[in-house]
Amino acid sequence: MSILNYLVLSGILFAIGGTAVLVRRNAIVAFMGVELMLNAANLTLVTFARMHGDLTGQVIAFFVMVVAAAEVVIGLAIIVSIFRTRGSASLDDASLLKS
Amino acid sequence: MFVAPHIEWAALSPVLILLGAAVIGVLVEAFVPRGSRRLVQVVVAALALGGALVAVTWRWTVVQQDGPSSLVAGALREDAPALLFQAILLILALLALLVIADRARGEDAFTPTASAIPGSEYEGQARRAGLAQTEVFPLTMFAVTGMLVFPAAADLLTMFIALEVLSLPLYLLAGMARRRRLVSQEASLKYFLLGAFSSAFFLMGLALLYGYAGSVHLADIATAVPLVSGMDGLLLAGSALVIIGLLFKVGAVPFHSWTPDVYQGAPTPITGFMAACTKVAAFAALLRFVYVVTPGLGWDLAPFLWIVAILTMVVGTVLAIVQTDMKRTLAYSSVAHAGFLLLGIIALDERGISGILVYLLAYGLATVGAFALVTLVRTKDAEGNLVGEAGHLSEWAGLGRRSPVLAVCFALFLLSFAGIPLTAGFTGKFAVFGAAVAGGDWPLVVIAVLASAAAAFFYVRIIVLMFFTEPATGEDGSATTVVRSEGLTAVAVVVCAVGTVLVGVVPTAVLAVAAQASKFLL
Amino acid sequence: MTNPFIPILVMAALALLMAIGGVAASAVIGPKRYNKVKVDAYECGIQPSPHAMGMGRFPIKYYLVAMTFIIFDIEVVFMYPWAVAFTELAMFGLIAMLGFLFLITVPFIYEWRRGGLDWD
Repeated sequence: MSILNYLVLSGILFAIGGTAVLVRRNAIVAFMGVELMLNAANLTLVTFARMHGDLTGQVIAFFVMVVAAAEVVIGLAIIVSIFRTRGSASLDDASLLKS
Repeated sequence: MFVAPHIEWAALSPVLILLGAAVIGVLVEAFVPRGSRRLVQVVVAALALGGALVAVTWRWTVVQQDGPSSLVAGALREDAPALLFQAILLILALLALLVIADRARGEDAFTPTASAIPGSEYEGQARRAGLAQTEVFPLTMFAVTGMLVFPAAADLLTMFIALEVLSLPLYLLAGMARRRRLVSQEASLKYFLLGAFSSAFFLMGLALLYGYAGSVHLADIATAVPLVSGMDGLLLAGSALVIIGLLFKVGAVPFHSWTPDVYQGAPTPITGFMAACTKVAAFAALLRFVYVVTPGLGWDLAPFLWIVAILTMVVGTVLAIVQTDMKRTLAYSSVAHAGFLLLGIIALDERGISGILVYLLAYGLATVGAFALVTLVRTKDAEGNLVGEAGHLSEWAGLGRRSPVLAVCFALFLLSFAGIPLTAGFTGKFAVFGAAVAGGDWPLVVIAVLASAAAAFFYVRIIVLMFFTEPATGEDGSATTVVRSEGLTAVAVVVCAVGTVLVGVVPTAVLAVAAQASKFLL
Repeated sequence: MTNPFIPILVMAALALLMAIGGVAASAVIGPKRYNKVKVDAYECGIQPSPHAMGMGRFPIKYYLVAMTFIIFDIEVVFMYPWAVAFTELAMFGLIAMLGFLFLITVPFIYEWRRGGLDWD
């Protein structure tokens, strides 16, 4: 199969993730969009690693997974604390700072 | 066959000292009894920052003698710009730490328990018990560690990890303000979501550049630029995405939307810390990336960077004029400063590097100092209880009569922001604009000078407000008062003020040191 | 030449058939006698600890455990490559991994001392 297919797939995933961040109003869902973007980048990295016959891309993918996990934990902590305060994780409710 | 990389422990010492302090800080949280935790944390953090500063100075002398070098199998570069950026970062972080550690009226700026629901009985108990969230200090140390690696990172993976190490603690710190907890938590959420969004862009750019060059080392990508043909799309898209990821961190328009909200919501000492230090670190990384990788694609990236720079200067200045909240005003002014700094990046001239160094030093000193003063100006309700910081600009009216020293210092920082001669801001603006003219970007310089003039208007307006307006009392009998700091904030403010004046009055010494950092090691 | 994917497709079809068939068969021919315990949330046979609050929300503890789990779980990712290349990496790999493990242990100690591991 052509390398291009994987790249197109990861491009689509990246775009879906980006759209989710921008249009979804629930903090958790928006954050899932970010995770999708990170994984799209991972797919690109692994594809290119295969293309170049080089392991760097795969190693970077490992690092990205760990960073993504750390981000999930920080994000969950923040979202949960907001949720406990307001009883909602909607981003529209979080608008005290608009002016 | 695997060959173990040679690790230059001596050259890594500044980073290792800070990382060690952060780890020790976590252990202190685990084992030291509650009463003495805070003192131990402050001492560990201050010693680490001071020690790292000494280590950086030592490495500077070594680099002066032996020349720049490449560390840890090419992951880091130890060259003059990296060391100078690290020195500036450490100085600013040390000053910011003083403000973070200060407890004016026996209360620091942080919530007693970040996990408690705001306004709950549990939170009230924690406040009365005098608890403190001393995790602030290790978190700050982790953030500084990431910032320290950022200017020296010579491959995109190291840069990405450093970006995350500096960002993740800041997301948490932004949500820990003692007062106005809801706003603070909201700032934290916004910072987190947009920050994670931007690092996803950075990562995608990293992946595309890896596909283009088959390596993530900046030097390898730079050598591949003239050699590899037929994949220019990958190169351009990758570079643009990496730059966008970094522009998010510096708060350039149109990637600035988090800046005012986060600056306003975060605890003010943290705002000062991240406004100064994040900007230094992110500009250092941006500078290295643009100067090392993209000189070969000047014509393709220039329009993009030009538009971003113009938008940043204009939007930052205009929106700063219409703000009514002190922290938001300073936030938009920092956006405008990001625009001025971008001139030094676009210049692609070796004077650009030293210009940005001086500008960031001037901006950082004024920012840490200004936010330190904001922590001291509080609102008092009719019964005389302190209810929080005086956010609204009108509450600052007449401050010059009641606390002349504070008002004079604040005015000095504002003048430095405005770039008035004899302050550090002028030296910085002069150096950066000069580099931009040398790089042939005079239309940008014209816009920058006009924007600076417009910005001077609102800085002067605040000064007029402080010195020539009658102090106002709110309808509910609230008034503005200045609390006495424990001493630490005062020290930080004085150092910032002296530094601002010194860099403004005798700029030659600073410029001479910065001029030595005119070249990145490939 | 047959497509190499055919065995795997057959396998997938069989697995799907078994799964759906099992559920469908028990729904059709199984006796239906419900009681309170049977319709309750299933938690490994023990009584469902803190009842889900209104609107089916879960207590915060679950998130705390999830956070702890995910961070320690994902760190193992670095050990797989190390294990695969264990002999080649020799002493350097061992020392690097010990350093890594030490750094992970530090937050673990923190969490343990501050009561993050206590369930109640």
